[in-house]
Amino acid sequence: MQKVGIVEVAMTPGTESSLSLMEFTYKPVKEVLDKAGLRRDQVGTYVLASTDIMHSGMSCANAFDWDAAGAFMKPASREEGDGITAFIYGCMRIMSGRHDTALVVGLIKGSENAENDTITSCFADPFYSRPLGIQETTAAAMQMRLYLERYGITEEQCAKVVVKNLGNALFNPYAHIKKRVSVEDVLKSERICDPLKAMECAPKSDGVCAMLLASEEKARKLTNNPVWLKGWGSSMDTFYLGDRDLLDTQLKTAAVGAYKMAGISDPRKEIDVAEICEPYAFQELLWCEELGFCAQGQGGKLIDSGVTQIAGDLPVNPSGGVLATNPYVSRGLYRVAEAALQIRGEAGQHQLDKKVNTALACAGYGFAGQWHGVAILGN
Amino acid sequence: MGRAVAVIGTGQTRHGRRDDVSYPDLIKEAVKAAFEDAGITSQDIDAVVYGSMPSMMEGVAYNHFYFADALRVVGKPLLRTETCGSTGQSIAHTGIYWIASGMADIILVVGSEKQHEGDAQATMTTIPEAFMHADFVGGAPVAFSMQSREWMGHFNIDEDKAREAAAIISVDCHDGGLKNPYAHIRVNITKEDAMKARIITYPVRLLDVCPSSDGACAVIFASEDKAKKICKKPAWVKGTGFRGEEYFSGDSSKAVWQSAIEASKEAYKQAGITDPLKELDVAEVYNPFTYQQLMFLECLGFCPPGESPDYVVKGVFSPGGKLFCNPSGGVLCTNPIGAAGLIRLAEAAMQVTGKAGAIQVEGAKLALSHAMGGALQFNGITILGSEL
Repeated sequence: MQKVGIVEVAMTPGTESSLSLMEFTYKPVKEVLDKAGLRRDQVGTYVLASTDIMHSGMSCANAFDWDAAGAFMKPASREEGDGITAFIYGCMRIMSGRHDTALVVGLIKGSENAENDTITSCFADPFYSRPLGIQETTAAAMQMRLYLERYGITEEQCAKVVVKNLGNALFNPYAHIKKRVSVEDVLKSERICDPLKAMECAPKSDGVCAMLLASEEKARKLTNNPVWLKGWGSSMDTFYLGDRDLLDTQLKTAAVGAYKMAGISDPRKEIDVAEICEPYAFQELLWCEELGFCAQGQGGKLIDSGVTQIAGDLPVNPSGGVLATNPYVSRGLYRVAEAALQIRGEAGQHQLDKKVNTALACAGYGFAGQWHGVAILGN
Repeated sequence: MGRAVAVIGTGQTRHGRRDDVSYPDLIKEAVKAAFEDAGITSQDIDAVVYGSMPSMMEGVAYNHFYFADALRVVGKPLLRTETCGSTGQSIAHTGIYWIASGMADIILVVGSEKQHEGDAQATMTTIPEAFMHADFVGGAPVAFSMQSREWMGHFNIDEDKAREAAAIISVDCHDGGLKNPYAHIRVNITKEDAMKARIITYPVRLLDVCPSSDGACAVIFASEDKAKKICKKPAWVKGTGFRGEEYFSGDSSKAVWQSAIEASKEAYKQAGITDPLKELDVAEVYNPFTYQQLMFLECLGFCPPGESPDYVVKGVFSPGGKLFCNPSGGVLCTNPIGAAGLIRLAEAAMQVTGKAGAIQVEGAKLALSHAMGGALQFNGITILGSEL
């Protein structure tokens, strides 16, 4: 299999932008091209990620996004779904041997969309689930309740995730929410969907992430510091929540696939940093279990131990994660970009104080995480 | 490119107004048919690719979640690809790249639409940008009619001649629809019927326009090794191409449709085709409107620019002609949008493997399939052949 390298990345801050969606998209795309010293037409192929339902009121999102992404008259496609899927599709296009470079763009302007849960309620089937008021937050609340009850995880332990991630976000120039908070602040914030508190839920952010990928030969020409794709896995769960064990998720299947491809047998030891998708605080703990960073039901102890702190053995979300910045569609691509920056030592103020050889980036969406994708990157 | 890829099975629903099934059941119907055709089960596939139009059109956003079970993707990877009307070709390309990359061996690709559960034209009015664009090109008939006029003006094409050629295409397609067991529109029409049908948006008349259909299509792709093991007669992917042009319609000429020209050139180059009219045996051209088929015949290099009406009137693209286009009746008879581009590919696969039944083109070995989408913006091509 052909090796694929990340050559350059660019991101916008998650805060509300006054630019039009087209200009907003154009800027990081141009930044990536400028950094790599390429013109738009020199890129082999383009893969976009956006979604019709969160696209500033315009559907068939690729139609509008095409020009600003630079895809005019180039072999290209669009993923309707998390940005990490555009990343892997871009990698596949290079692995096929047909293109030597791919530009991947994930884009959304949350500030121009309806509330996330107004939209996620439309994921529900109209007959059985939607009348019950199921959307991502209510589904997550049920998942959290089960998590607390089955494993004795405490609300304090969940709140610690918010304290850690928002604390990390203070040092990330692209973060949306910048605020130092205490466990008490989190626990006292409004219970919006019991047991979920307002501060445990991700915001709605703007965000475009652009990334240039290249074949091994081309990547070595374009940069001295390529980051390689080492492993990939993804998996889809069944639709109805009642048909699933919400604490036994497809993230496990996705991770197993990614670890196998990357040759990782002990993720806790072999992975130096993880950027994971935690739109709800408790999910970071649960996902850490599913990723094999600790045993099942031990997510609470993991955060207590300090291992996942920015100075810990296995820092999780040094960027502040999705709790700090939640551009819904592109958030998965942000995870990959942040993981790549850590490996390159270019994360700036939130750069880890250790050598990062192997990083994990994962993304998930849908009720209680119906779909998950896991990427392993290495130097 | 990479590893060779083949189609080892196709499945379609009966298309039309499908009030008899739920949307997930509609998907299941196509998926089941594809597995039966390939002689494999869902356990044999590595991953699934799905696509449709903006799915809020039918009331459920990100409907791949809802369809997880129907798509037989539980516990497996899924990618959702979407490029408006060209989705059917784009999802096939995702599957092809996935296998060519070496990351998977067998992939199920599914496209669908259930237009009677929503309002496609209402959705299409949200494709153009709201402030400057939507007032002019909202909805498909307006965009396509403007383009038809631009094309006739650009090449100084006699309107009566174009009208007659469009009517011939309509008759050929409706004849095909009558013979195609999956087709939606089944009417016997004459050239006069087509020429005198009521005006929708000038110059487009009722029989120049596709229907709104419910339907799904599933295609199973496999790597060379697997295809040779599983399938007696695979349809090999010989070439693919995809291009998109500017968003704002006024930014470029739509009479010379550059994305269609460039996408087909790329596919021909890969397939080693230099004279498509001579070398192709059959073509499934995306024709939601008859006039667009006239334009595509030129852009895909089947005839010189501005001369498609002459060629059509001479019968070059009719049954028994040099390159029969749309034996299935095309999109003109069957239009479940997200599936329509994949149906073209499935029909092309059926033609080169001799499985097309009543609409089989005798001895077809090389077939082109095509789809178009967006605000006259995107074109995708896949060429299939009976030999590797």
